Amino acid sequence: MFTEAKNTSGRPRLIRGWPLARVLLGLCVAGFATAAPYIPAKDAAVLADLPLGARHRAAADGNGAAARIDVALPLAQFYVARARATGDLRFLGYAEAALLPWLQRPPVPAAVLVMDATVQQSLHAFDASLDELDRALRVQPDLPQAWLTRATVLRVLGRYPEALDSCAHLAAADPAVMVLCTESIRALTGHLRAAYDSVAAIPAQALPPEVSAWRCSELGEMAERLGDDAAAERFLRSGLVLAPQDLYLRNAYADLLLRQGRAAETLELLAGFDSMEPMLLRSTLAHQLLHDGASDRARALLANAFALEQQRGDVVHRREQARFLLDVAGDAPAAVEVAAVNWQVQREPDDLLILLRAARAAGLPDAAEPARQFLREQHLEDRRFGALLGAAP
Amino acid sequence: MRLRPAALAALLFAAAAHAHIASNGFLGVQVHDERIAGAIEIAVRDVELSVGADADGDGKVTWGELRAAGPGLARYVAAHLALTTQGSSCPLSFQPLQVNERVDGSYAWLPFTARCAAAVRGLEIHYDLMAGIDPSHRGLLTLTAGGLTQTAVLTPGSGPGEFRVDTSSRGRAFVQYLRAGVGHIWSGVDHLLFLFSLLLPAVLIRTGGRWEPVAGPRPALVGIIKVVTAFTLAHSITLTLAAFDVVRLPSRLTESVIAASIVVAALNNIFPLWAERRTRIAFCFGLLHGFGFASVLADMGLPAGARLLSLFGFNLGIEIGQLAVVAAVMPAVYALRGAAFYRRTLMPWGSAVIAVVGMVWLVQRAVL
Repeated sequence: MFTEAKNTSGRPRLIRGWPLARVLLGLCVAGFATAAPYIPAKDAAVLADLPLGARHRAAADGNGAAARIDVALPLAQFYVARARATGDLRFLGYAEAALLPWLQRPPVPAAVLVMDATVQQSLHAFDASLDELDRALRVQPDLPQAWLTRATVLRVLGRYPEALDSCAHLAAADPAVMVLCTESIRALTGHLRAAYDSVAAIPAQALPPEVSAWRCSELGEMAERLGDDAAAERFLRSGLVLAPQDLYLRNAYADLLLRQGRAAETLELLAGFDSMEPMLLRSTLAHQLLHDGASDRARALLANAFALEQQRGDVVHRREQARFLLDVAGDAPAAVEVAAVNWQVQREPDDLLILLRAARAAGLPDAAEPARQFLREQHLEDRRFGALLGAAP
Repeated sequence: MRLRPAALAALLFAAAAHAHIASNGFLGVQVHDERIAGAIEIAVRDVELSVGADADGDGKVTWGELRAAGPGLARYVAAHLALTTQGSSCPLSFQPLQVNERVDGSYAWLPFTARCAAAVRGLEIHYDLMAGIDPSHRGLLTLTAGGLTQTAVLTPGSGPGEFRVDTSSRGRAFVQYLRAGVGHIWSGVDHLLFLFSLLLPAVLIRTGGRWEPVAGPRPALVGIIKVVTAFTLAHSITLTLAAFDVVRLPSRLTESVIAASIVVAALNNIFPLWAERRTRIAFCFGLLHGFGFASVLADMGLPAGARLLSLFGFNLGIEIGQLAVVAAVMPAVYALRGAAFYRRTLMPWGSAVIAVVGMVWLVQRAVL
């Protein structure tokens, strides 16, 4: 009774408020600060740079995507590729728009379902994605892309036995991909060392560049989880050479560097990529390590962006939001809440990691109990968890 | 990998001004009776997609190009945004285009006004921007009416959003703030402790260096009324001054002085320095308690258009809550006043405990 929690006005309160509500309110206030519209001084002032693929389509129906499936599918594919290359979520909306007329006209072609499932996966709408994949495979059981996407989604959801089953269907189409698919899941279910050796043994030269890059990213993650940072770094760098536009690889490498405190190298790695929230987050963390005061603007930008996504109910960047709350805003209780919500959506090792870290920092060990249970059930090994799994402080 | 100096990296970092988020439109609507005023903000990128703005096809949209696209944009918005009330639409008329900067870049700011057939009670907003172009687009609405603000997310193509606009929402605001005032005083242990330190001896009178019970209810009642009124008057004055930003004090100072006031009032019961000046103490320290109330009000904010009403409601709530507690406790205290146990043990030792609590808070608030 005599220790008082202070709220934001400095007025002592005897009741502790909701941390998340407070943070969100603060974020919203910061984000929606008094709008100040203005009239630019010069006609030539550039207001927007239009990326490739974001131009106005003069024809009423765009370019015939609604009438021709051989226009709609490549167009959607193009937009998904642009989204992957730029991290710009709008492109996923454009892909959706190209596919929507086909999705609304039964019977929906399997190829359209698979493409839309890829879009949903990119938006982290995993249940919707699985639903469409299952529908596609009922119509056409022999679709390797569908099986591969299905395996990936099930893996993110932590449903490993079903994921393995999906991988098995790739044997006829591409044995190397099947091995990668299977081993990456075995690595999560208690066979990390064996899987690592298996994948390392695949000759890289025999693989097409995208598959080789995928192999590098898997090996990088496995090596990191085994505690072999040097090998992890080698693989991630090789992967980036093969696929410099691969944002997943770049972020994974940035995380490795940050964990080792190599802030300047992190900044160089991410230079030019800062318009994407996940990269901006990592840059901000690097600047924090350097104590160079450059992170204040980014902090406000990230807070605003996350607040907008929260208002829309988007879940794409929840993991990054939890990390932001924990490592940048220093609000561990809010980070736990967001990490727990993220855990409901996806269950990759990085999702486990942020939940464990946030729960420990907030002094709420019970919040991470579902994660610990999952770890035990799956026999998931990850040296990064280390002390986080010890007895509650 | 070559290492660049951190300073250079910071320069590169500063160049990143925007983040890539999904497509949002921002719709602000203010309702006054039958008139509506507002603005819709659409990202310049979305203006390009929906109506085309890059006239010279160079991949950049300049202010000149956006201005030229203004009429087309207004037509597009008129075709994809509709405000209706009681079944009839409120036609939009647009004012000149401006620009606003947000986290993901520049937005076209298109102000509008609308006139409805009758005073608006319920507003339907049909928002279909970017339909068929970007299904992930959402309209983020801020609707202000009668002093209250509502927010919502509008999804194109999923039917109109319906919003109640109550003129009696001012009445609702009043009630909301009244309840907040009551809740605040009931949870404001420091305010209550101060008040009760002054009230405990109201049923007693100091004669010949000792506390004696008052003869009848009248002197006790007069004493209670004087203290409570002085406290109420004082904190109402400063609450009003602080709520309208006429006077502001740092909260650390006010909180510390509030704690100190508890110590003074409680100690006064044990070592009666100002035995018969409790009214004055109530008034002087009451001024500072008012600043404490004001900081809570600052947390809540006063709604535009109903500020005075809400402030009055909050203050009234404090008084009602205060009176309720006084009315609950003082009769019991009055009944006890004759007991030696009350005069010699409960009141002095109770006051001592209160003084200690006040000291602890004083140290915490002033130092920690």
